[in-house]
Amino acid sequence: MLLFRGEEHIDRWCTQWNQPRGATLTIDQAWQLAEAWYGNKLDPDWRRATVDETERLLSKLGLTGSFWNLRAQV
Amino acid sequence: MTEHFDTRVRLELYREFVRTAHAPTTEGLAGLMQAPTDDIRAALERLAAAKVIVLQPESREILMANPLCAVPAPYRVRVEDRSYFGSCVWDALGVIAMLQSDAVLDTSCACCGEAMSISVSGGQVAPAHGTIHFGIPAKRWWENIVFT
Repeated sequence: MLLFRGEEHIDRWCTQWNQPRGATLTIDQAWQLAEAWYGNKLDPDWRRATVDETERLLSKLGLTGSFWNLRAQV
Repeated sequence: MTEHFDTRVRLELYREFVRTAHAPTTEGLAGLMQAPTDDIRAALERLAAAKVIVLQPESREILMANPLCAVPAPYRVRVEDRSYFGSCVWDALGVIAMLQSDAVLDTSCACCGEAMSISVSGGQVAPAHGTIHFGIPAKRWWENIVFT
């Protein structure tokens, strides 16, 4: 997950490195995802989220579609 | 019994990583926990197999205790007088979220190299220019987490 100055820079990077275009998030969206994903990582009772839990989290943040589907064959 | 020990190792390695801003070594953890080095090594392997941490391919020392990265990476998080590295921008933001501290993330545009920074204060990210690109679909993130 890389940070770019803008969409044009993502396009240029994908072309330069022959990588397919993926999904883009705003910094605020990524911060929300980071908070939800890692905010409890130091808790003694932390555990890896299940696929169901992760799907609910991604959906709650509006990250839906095939790119964010954890079960799809991609 | 093993699960309880692995939890203790996990908590100790994160505590030490956060405290010193450096990943503890296997021997260092053994000393901190007063446990045999081989037991710590085995626990780290189990934690890696469970995708809790990532080990370096040859030395089998900690490479990532996500979101923390043990080696210098292009995403540096400054918290008070300490600096941590995240392997990617999401992990770097994750370091800030995990520490629940005000922090500044220093990095650069992955395309052109222009300096960029993101500040977080009071749990809020300050408005900043930039777009984050996820190149690998979510289902495949752990196929090669270092590349992801």
